[in-house]
Order: sequence, then C-alpha cells, then structure tokens
Amino acid sequence: MTIPLKYNFGSLWVRRVGTLMTALGIGLTVSIFIIMMALVNGLESTFIDTGHEDTLIVIRDGSVNEVNSYYNRDLFQTVRLLPGIRVDDNNDPMVSGELVVVINHPRVTGESSNVIVRGTSAIGLKLRPEARLVDGRWFKRGLREIVVSEPLSRRFQNMRYGNSLHMSRSDWKVVGVFNAGGTAYDSEVWADYEDVAQDWDRPIYTSILLRATDLIAAKEIQRRIADDRRIHLQAVSQKEYFRSQSFSSIGIKALGIFIATVMGIGSCFAAMNMMYAAVMSRSREVGTLRALGFSRWSILTSFLIESTILALLGGVVGCLMALPMHGISTGTANFANFSEILFHFRITPKILLQGLAFAMVVGVVGGGLPARRAAQIRLIEALRS
Amino acid sequence: MRFLWLLLRNILRNRRRTFLTVTSIAASLFLVTTLLALLENLRNPRQTPDAALRLITRHKVSLFNALPYAYRMKIAKVEGVEAVIGSMWFGGIYKDPQNFFAQFSVDTDQFFQVNPDARIPEDQKQAFLKDRTGAIAGNTLAERFGWKVGDRIHLKGSLFQFDPELTLRGIYEGGSDDGGTLFFHWEYFNEGMKNQSFTGTFSIRARSAEEVPLVAERVDALFQNATTPTKTETEKAFMLGFLSMMGNVQFLITGVCSVVTFTIILVAANTMAMSIRERVREIGILKAVGFQNRQILFLFLGESVFLSLTGAIIGSWAAKLFFANLNLPAITGGFIQRVEVKLGILALCTGLGVLVGILAAGVPAWRASRRPCADALRRVG
Repeated sequence: MTIPLKYNFGSLWVRRVGTLMTALGIGLTVSIFIIMMALVNGLESTFIDTGHEDTLIVIRDGSVNEVNSYYNRDLFQTVRLLPGIRVDDNNDPMVSGELVVVINHPRVTGESSNVIVRGTSAIGLKLRPEARLVDGRWFKRGLREIVVSEPLSRRFQNMRYGNSLHMSRSDWKVVGVFNAGGTAYDSEVWADYEDVAQDWDRPIYTSILLRATDLIAAKEIQRRIADDRRIHLQAVSQKEYFRSQSFSSIGIKALGIFIATVMGIGSCFAAMNMMYAAVMSRSREVGTLRALGFSRWSILTSFLIESTILALLGGVVGCLMALPMHGISTGTANFANFSEILFHFRITPKILLQGLAFAMVVGVVGGGLPARRAAQIRLIEALRS
Repeated sequence: MRFLWLLLRNILRNRRRTFLTVTSIAASLFLVTTLLALLENLRNPRQTPDAALRLITRHKVSLFNALPYAYRMKIAKVEGVEAVIGSMWFGGIYKDPQNFFAQFSVDTDQFFQVNPDARIPEDQKQAFLKDRTGAIAGNTLAERFGWKVGDRIHLKGSLFQFDPELTLRGIYEGGSDDGGTLFFHWEYFNEGMKNQSFTGTFSIRARSAEEVPLVAERVDALFQNATTPTKTETEKAFMLGFLSMMGNVQFLITGVCSVVTFTIILVAANTMAMSIRERVREIGILKAVGFQNRQILFLFLGESVFLSLTGAIIGSWAAKLFFANLNLPAITGGFIQRVEVKLGILALCTGLGVLVGILAAGVPAWRASRRPCADALRRVG
C-alpha cells in the first residue's frame, strides 16, 4: 500500500518557506550546471556545424591548422587540375586559394585578442554559401576592402559597417557585414586574397578550399594529394577539420563539471538537512501512518519521493533561471589557432533533461538517509511523543 | 563567558544538523576558494625578482608572425639590455597529442643570464651547453613523464616539418614557468628549418628594474619603421595577453562565485530559520528569566556566524591543502600548472563566512528576539 502523493505535496506546502529556499538552492546549482553546459555545447556545435562533407581543405602536410600551414603559389595549379572537382555555373572549377593571417585587435571593452583575417576569392564565397550579407556588399580587388562577420563587428572596435581600420600597411574599409549562420566563419574578417598577400607581403597560400563532385570523388582527391610525394600537402574534409578544433572546450567543460560536482555535494547536504528536519518534526505523523497500516517500506518511499519532488522543483526553477542565457553571444580563445572564436550559449532539451537528472540525483542522495531514519521510527514511541 | 557556553551548547544540541550545515557551507567555500585562487593565479603569474627584469619582444601584429633572427644583434646593442636570446615556440607532439607541454628552442649562450631563476646543477648545465641536440626540462615536467637525465626525447613537429631527437641533459628548478617547460638549442631547430633564421620572440633581461620600461620603448623604436615592427612588454604583461584572449573568464568566475555565495546564504538562512522556529518557546523562557532582546539577537547571530565561519575555514583550508598536494599538470594535461591558494584569499573567504552568518541569521534572529515573551511561551513548538 503506497502513501498518496497528495500527502507529500501537502507536507511541502506546509513548510513552504523552507521548501522554497531549499529548492532555490538546488535550482541555482542546476542553473550553473546548465549554463556551463550550454557554453560548452555552444562552442562545440559552432565547430561541428561548420563545413560540408564534400568540401576539402588542403593544407601543408604536418600542419593541423591553416594558421601554421603555408606553401608556394605554384602548387595551386597542381591542385586545381585534379579530377573530380565540381565546376560552377561559369564552368570554373570550385577551388579557392586562400591566405589566413592573424591580427591582434582591441575588443569594444578594451582588451585585445587575435582575429583571423582571410584572404579569399569570389569562388571562396561560393564555397561558403552559409555566409550571407546582412549589410553592404562583398569586397572588390585592389581597393583594400574587408567584409566583417556580424558578431565580430559587434565585439571589436572599428569593425562596424562603414568604419575603417588599420591592418598591416594599409587602412581597410569595412564595406559589408556578413552572417555565417553560427559557424566558425562567424569569427573571421574576409578580404580579397591578392590584397592580403600584397599588404602582408606573403605571396603564399595557407590553404586551398575545393568542392568535389561527390563524396567518392572527395576520397579520391584526398588519396591523390596524400600519394603525391612532391607536393607535401594533405586534404582534410572541411567538416572534419573544424570538428577536430572543438577540443578548445575541454577547459570550460572540466571547470563546469568540477563546479557542478562540488555544488551538487553542497546541495545534497542542504537537502539532507531540510529532510531530516521534516522527518523529525513529523515523527507523530509517521507513527500515525504506521498505525494506519502503512509499512516501513511505504514510509521510506514516501519520504524519498518527497525529497525528489523538492529537488525536481529546484531543477525546474534552475532550468527557468538558466533559459534567458540561451542565445547570448560570447567568445573565447580557439586553441587550434589562438584566435577569438565567437559562439552562443546553446541550451538544448538534452541539457535541460541533464539538469533535471542532476537535481534528481541530489534529491535521492540527500533524501536517502532521512527517509531511512523515518522508516526506523518506532510506532509506539512516535505516537507517545 | 557563560553566554558563550550557552551558544556552544546550542550548536552541539543538534549535532547532525550542525554537521550537515557546516559541510554544505564548507563544500561551497571550497569551490569559491578554488575559483578565486584560479583567477588570482591567472591574473598574477608568479613574479620572481628575475621575472620582473624580463621582457618579451614579439611581432607587433601577433605572435604568429615570426621575427628575423638578425634582430638579436641589434637588440643586444640597445642601452639597458644585459642579455637577449631568441625563443621559438616549437609546439611538437611527444608520443601523443594529449601530452601537451611548452617547448621552446632558445639561444643557449645567454640562456642562463636571461633566466637566472632556472636553477640547475653546474655539470648538467655544461653538458646541455655542449650538446647541440641536448635539452633541459623543468622538474615538474620531468616528474610528469618520469624523465631522467640521459633520456631520449623525440618530438614530432606539428607547426614545423622537423622532428627533433633530443637528449635530456639536465633538469632545472624554479623559474616563472613552475618547471613546466622543455628547452633545446635554437641552432638545432634552425638547421631543421634549413637555416631560414627566424624566431618567434626575443627574451630580454634588463639591467635594472628602472630600465625595464625604457628598454621596451627603445627596442620598439628601433624597429618602428621596419617591415617587421615589434612589440616589447614585460613577461607579466605578455602572459596577461593570453588571459585577455580567453575572453570573459573573469566575468564567468566572479559570476559563479556570487551565485555560490548566494546559495550558501540561502542554505544557512534556511537552517537558522529551522532551528529558531523550533526554539520559540525557549526564547520565551530566556526572556522570562531576564534576557534582553539584544542578547537573544546576539545569541542567534553568534550561532549562525559560528556555523558558517567553521564551514568557511574548513572549506578554504581544504582547498589549500587539496591543491598543494595535487599533481595538476598531469591531471589537466599541462593546461593548468598550479593553483596556489594565497593567504589573502583565505582571509577573504573567512570574511565571507562571517558575512554569510550575519546575513543568514539576520531576519529570523531579529524577528525572534522581538517576539513578546508571553506570545512565545504560549506557542507549542
């Protein structure tokens, strides 16, 4: 015979101030957990969402990132003539030679950070259809023009539409703002390849981006590039290239788990305190329940359910408190290229469920001992008290 | 004195509750201490007197742009420069990409003049200087991989197409890097680079502390109009540049700390409210025997402060001991070298404990102390 849930809700309601405070304590813990996980998730999915399976990025063999890859311009022709490369409407192969440089630039808040500047081409823009103009137009060759991503233009100085900023040896004009749909390209400044190569005096490529006709052709191109010992290049799938950068989140992830664990332990003790107080002040009630014929087991479950309800209430409060953080834009260092990567806090149903599960664990662990104590209360003594 | 005795008896009355409250406060303060110490260590890297004399020169645009090695001779002639070495981040892979640690190829001839805080036995020093493919490692790094002098260390280049095969010739202690770095000869590196003669940064030792800012200005002025302009800053400022790159770490950590503090106040307030509610009758009795409102207020405040202060002291000292005995470089894969809990942070957390105690008991204790005697006695607890 089980004790009706109504009894538990009633008991929690009677001591509502205590219930609310304990739930709020658990809720704050859960919200911190959710926010940290949303941070990690936002950072990781920025990398995971970037790139296309049929697109390859060619970098120097042995490099792991564009910023430390470089090779001669003549290799471009070798790559461009490989079979299996898709052609665009004008019958041009979809291959873009690119030069990535890093600048140190002040944020709006004053401190500075590294920003990726990509010298690319008209084909390069076609290869990244996810990037759409929201303001102005794309850059033109020879005019020292740049197009800045929307989040970057909000976060860094002099990067708004119409601004002008000094990079390398020239003043560059911001002629457009683009949005790359929350991908890693949302952390970049784009300009014409020739302009960047001239201004930085680096007549080289750091990478070549190309689109294969299909996945099989992509595999074949990868194999051909790897097998050609003269060129010392490697082709990686664009998707894989960015996915492998998501290790930048390790630090935040570890910090988040550490914080959640320690706070979780603290919350368990707080919940235990509350539940012990509940058990002690209700020993008469427990005695009555026993006298009515409820078993020790029912009493144990009932108290355990009560503490779980309390914790879940906290969990729900925590979810609600964390939700406003969703979509807020922030940035950190991408350890693959030591430049700023911009992303959003991303709360998913999965993270919310994890938060609730976390709260439930707190409830069960915190309520376990007090519930056992309640089940051990002896009928006669309890009624006499 | 008797008053204190009463306070203590009250605390010991419900031992389980006292234990649970203190533990939950201690857990939270453990976290606050850790986070504050982490932030403090990031913001104030260890400053040895030698580190204060060190300057780092890098390419003005960013660390990714290399500097011509020929700059070394020009910098050496700058007034106020005692010694200067080229220093190039190698970033190779040792066995597994997970084994991350700092590796630099450096000029060895003046290395120990620029880094006198890296202490090393004289014979090991000489062996390192003589062996072109020799290397020295910091003690914490050597401990992490179980290296002994004479061991072979093979690195696989990831930034550069060059795989140095090194022999460990010495182990140094101290330095501002907490012994977490591997140094090897720049000449060997340059050979692997087909004598392209470039370096990432230069480390300069200034003659005196007064000359540090002047040296920075003079060096940068020297290359102001060159194709590769430089930026020279103190070692500390250089390290802080990395922190600013990490973004709003500071905001994140202080945010978490405030939420944790607020949570402890809730927990402590809840406990105090519970224990005061149970003692309303007692308050009536105390009043009946002549206790003043103020005394009762202090009785409860004292109890609450005692609880949270005990929790705070246990939590923050536990954090100090915990991180002093933890091999952090091994656990974090070289990401965090050290979390040192300084006395200032312990003091801050102790103060936080007192504050939490007062805030937590404030309202319920004040209300309890104001309750009319007869009303309190009438209450069935």
